[in-house]
Amino acid sequence: MSPLANDRIVFEDVSKFYGEILGVNRVNLSIPPGITSLVGPNGSGKTTLMNLMTGLVKPTRGRVEVLGLKTDDPENLFKVLGYSTQFDAFPKGLTGFQFLYSYLMLSGRDSQSAEQLAWRAIERVNLVDAAKRNVAAYSKGMRQRIRLAQALAHDPKVLVLDEPLNGLDPLARSEMIALFRATAEQGCSVIISSHILHEVDVISDQVILLSNGYVVAEGQIQNVRSEIQEHPTQILIRCSRPRELAVKMLEDEHTIEVAIHKDERGLLLKTRDADGFYLALNKLAVNGIDVESIAPADDDVLSVYEYLIGNEEAAR
Amino acid sequence: MKSGTMRIWWAQIKAVIRLEMRKTFFAKRGLWIYVLAALPVFLFMAYAVATAGQQRQSASLARRGQKPLSYQDLQAVKAGMTREDVIAILGKPPVTFHWAENRPLGPGVTANVLHEEYQYSDGQNDLSLGLADGKVEHIDIREGGNLGQGSILFAGVFQFFFLRLAVFFGCLGIFMNLFRGEILDRSLHFYFLAPIRREVLMAGKFLAGLLATCTIFVTSEVLQTIVFLWPLPAGVRDIYLYHNHGLEHSAAYVGVTVLACVGYGAFFLVAGMLFRNPILPAAAILIWEFINPFLPGLLKQFSIIYYLKSLCPVDIPTPPGTPPVFALLISNSDPVSAPVAVLGIVMVALIALYASSVQVRRMEINYTTE
Repeated sequence: MSPLANDRIVFEDVSKFYGEILGVNRVNLSIPPGITSLVGPNGSGKTTLMNLMTGLVKPTRGRVEVLGLKTDDPENLFKVLGYSTQFDAFPKGLTGFQFLYSYLMLSGRDSQSAEQLAWRAIERVNLVDAAKRNVAAYSKGMRQRIRLAQALAHDPKVLVLDEPLNGLDPLARSEMIALFRATAEQGCSVIISSHILHEVDVISDQVILLSNGYVVAEGQIQNVRSEIQEHPTQILIRCSRPRELAVKMLEDEHTIEVAIHKDERGLLLKTRDADGFYLALNKLAVNGIDVESIAPADDDVLSVYEYLIGNEEAAR
Repeated sequence: MKSGTMRIWWAQIKAVIRLEMRKTFFAKRGLWIYVLAALPVFLFMAYAVATAGQQRQSASLARRGQKPLSYQDLQAVKAGMTREDVIAILGKPPVTFHWAENRPLGPGVTANVLHEEYQYSDGQNDLSLGLADGKVEHIDIREGGNLGQGSILFAGVFQFFFLRLAVFFGCLGIFMNLFRGEILDRSLHFYFLAPIRREVLMAGKFLAGLLATCTIFVTSEVLQTIVFLWPLPAGVRDIYLYHNHGLEHSAAYVGVTVLACVGYGAFFLVAGMLFRNPILPAAAILIWEFINPFLPGLLKQFSIIYYLKSLCPVDIPTPPGTPPVFALLISNSDPVSAPVAVLGIVMVALIALYASSVQVRRMEINYTTE
């Protein structure tokens, strides 16, 4: 592997089969620091990919390295990696604090340091009041937060979070998103799986789109969108006199389709050459038409996912 | 290996043990193990109660006798002695029974025979004499506080119930659940997400299981010994413990119990990783241990009971007339020396633990297929 791999999560021709069932197939990825979202419907291979990068499952073929570390070396891997799984089971009879404290003691820490780190993690996920209660009595959202605390407790460089916002109320969701951002800004890799696409849009620096065990696209969402040539780019123009502008726009060779927006305060255009369109728009002398804004209308994850995988899959 | 690494591993092992002990000792599904360990204690309690009752009866019989008797007095009576000879030695019997019999002497000829039964006691040992027509015909001495017979009874319970069933199934219940139980609970990932070598995790879990089984079964073994010795007169108990290898035997039983936990524990640890259903490997190991006496010498060595039997301090004699197959099961026809036996168990356990360490590295978290 290249020296760059030391700050990346690298999959080299990785396949995972559960018996005859495909988990993921022929995955080649090099995930840089920042927030990366794994996007795909249930069964697309998101959790398998996460379990592969954390060594919980072993690849049938190929190899995975995290910051240059092999995934079959948990002793070193989990010093730099924290994983919040979707598995909703905990060791029996432990309080939230004991759960984190025991986890930290397992890494060979002394009691005092384990206690300090446990409380700090509990504070980060706002669970101080419930820390002394048995985890079995926690709500779904609280269990989600204590799992996040476990993943964060030892300040890992790589944070792998499987559906981390499930079960959280809107306030907690925004707090957690802020936490993920802060973690990524410190130079960490944050890998998040989600099937809630508008959240992914908000959170991610880059996305990995999965379908039926295959990676169908990866990279920054705008770059992924621009590579999809068969679907024209949609552009929303907000202006004062949309009908007049629509007539002018239809005269331009780059425009394929124009529609007046529902609120009658703008246009939706489709073009196969967005760059050419923007140049043409600048040249158009639109006298008396006040253009408020011009913005792409379909470079979000949902649109890209629909284009790449289809409406049915995206809706799953 | 660096001492720092060893120190961290030991700290990790202690953390695993703390977590496992809580689970092992207080799990509701493990209650049957306590019952299994307590059964022989209850058995010996019943034995102690019966023995104490017998002793009270002997003491009462001795008090009611015409004169105080010694064990030598009881042994002085021989078959063929007359009623008067017996009374001269032992005095008038405190308890007598008698009945008449028409004994056939030939065709159409019978004789009227008077049968008598005399009972004596020296306070511990009871003598029962059967007299026919005034002459001693039958002598039966029941020795109270006979530690020879008692220790054979103890050895029998230890070898055939405690070792082969209680410790065996107790280890099955505890060691098989160390990994399998957490797979079924879907909580094994908790350990697999920690920065701990899988082999260190396995060692921690094995030691936790060992600590739990040893605590439960050694406590049971010590209680059995206490309850077994409790009804004996203090003098007899002291002679047994301090002059008749009693303490050594007790220590040997404790040692054999610990070694049984080591051996069976290692077996069931690896079985819990390899098999989803514990019934199959448990049955296979139980049968393997059962047929051990019939196996060729080389195969015998790959068994726990082969070495444990060699370490048991008291041999169980084969009663006359026992079929050869059962005699082979009872007796230890091919014992090995104590050091070889200990080494053998440790070797068998190490082989099983090595297999566990290979298996634990291969393990994946894939609860849906379990």
